[in-house]
Amino acid sequence: MNPLAHLIISLTILTGTTITILSSHWFLAWMGLELNMLAIVPILAKNTNPRSTEASTKYFLIQATASMILLMAIFLNNLTSGQWTINPPHNQTLSTMMLIALVMKMGMAPLHFWLPEVTQGTPLIPAMIVLTWQKLAPLSIMFQIFPSTNTSIILMISILSIMAGSWGGLNQTQLRKILAYSSITHMGWMMAVLYYDPNITILTLIIYIFLTISTFMIFYLNSNMTTLSLSHTWNKLTWMMPMVPLMMMSLGGLPPLTGFSPKWAIMQELTKNNNLIIPLTMAMLTLMNLYFYMRLTYSISMTMFPTSNNTKINWQLKHTKPMPLLPPLMTLSTLMLPLTPLMLTN
Amino acid sequence: MPFIYTNVTLAYFMSLLGLLIYRSHLMSSLLCLEGMMLSLFIMTTLTTLNMHTMLMYMVPITLLVFAACEAAVGLALLILISNLYGLDYVQNLNLLQC
Repeated sequence: MNPLAHLIISLTILTGTTITILSSHWFLAWMGLELNMLAIVPILAKNTNPRSTEASTKYFLIQATASMILLMAIFLNNLTSGQWTINPPHNQTLSTMMLIALVMKMGMAPLHFWLPEVTQGTPLIPAMIVLTWQKLAPLSIMFQIFPSTNTSIILMISILSIMAGSWGGLNQTQLRKILAYSSITHMGWMMAVLYYDPNITILTLIIYIFLTISTFMIFYLNSNMTTLSLSHTWNKLTWMMPMVPLMMMSLGGLPPLTGFSPKWAIMQELTKNNNLIIPLTMAMLTLMNLYFYMRLTYSISMTMFPTSNNTKINWQLKHTKPMPLLPPLMTLSTLMLPLTPLMLTN
Repeated sequence: MPFIYTNVTLAYFMSLLGLLIYRSHLMSSLLCLEGMMLSLFIMTTLTTLNMHTMLMYMVPITLLVFAACEAAVGLALLILISNLYGLDYVQNLNLLQC
């Protein structure tokens, strides 16, 4: 792609999300979403092969439909209330319509089927953008309209997302699909606590973004796409062998690592509100997530796959993909649990 | 709600149903998207004309600009698809199913 075009497209992606996050006018927020969606399509379709074309077409159709539903809800809201400010709509139907559109945009449970396919069809870095940056804009609108949405619907969507993410990921061997399903599960955790304490949602989102970016960076370093290719880590980047399991367990939410802190906060908040069954179900379902992360761990650091391997340890050349941000990201995404009280008091 | 609003809302929901249910050609899906956009455009224009709010004068034309951009991106994707497959059936997009 032309570097200038690439620069303009990247800037538009940044601008779209920023406009949506900062605006208090419904139409401006919608414009930000639309800018974002129009700019990400060329990034997804950069390599002209059937898979990325299909992925970008699916992404476009889903996001355009969701935008239209959101815009209709916005206009009906304007007709009934006569104002453009982003307030929680008083009409239950309208706020459910907005909820459906945003759930479709974020790729959550009843409407999640496009997310693994789009993520699988694109290269690693666009997949990372789809799974992290693209969640910010819809979630910021969700953050502003949640008081008027039906709590049962939100909780049902989040439980369904956790179920879909954990059951869907069990049978996968492709890393991007596994990460997409893990994203669905994490979005479910975020939505579950939205009604009780939205600040914890933000905390979960930030930690999820750290974890996903560092996992994708590790995979990008070796161009890993499948579980099989992960098993060559030991003779390519030996220092990665103890780090990747830690990352995976952090993503699954095991206690001494960062990933545990949002889960801890969410379960505590739900329990404080006398909600016992829901956090129990969520934790039990996330165990399946932990299972498939552990399977990745197994193939990275505990086994050698039976493939021909002539050189025992590769010659350590200077790396062609320098990543100055990877060490701080990995530190943040494994060792941040002691900072939890700092992040939760506000 | 005046009759014309009901009519435009009905047009919008017909297009939405067409997009969601009739999934044969990609072209017809794009046309349904355009139909939704245009019914929303008519709705905003009517609202602007009825209410005379200065702040809203900008909304319909901005909406139209975004509709054009979306149509352009959709047609570009349609061209990519028909270059690759020779057809524009939505059922052909099944490489990535899991």
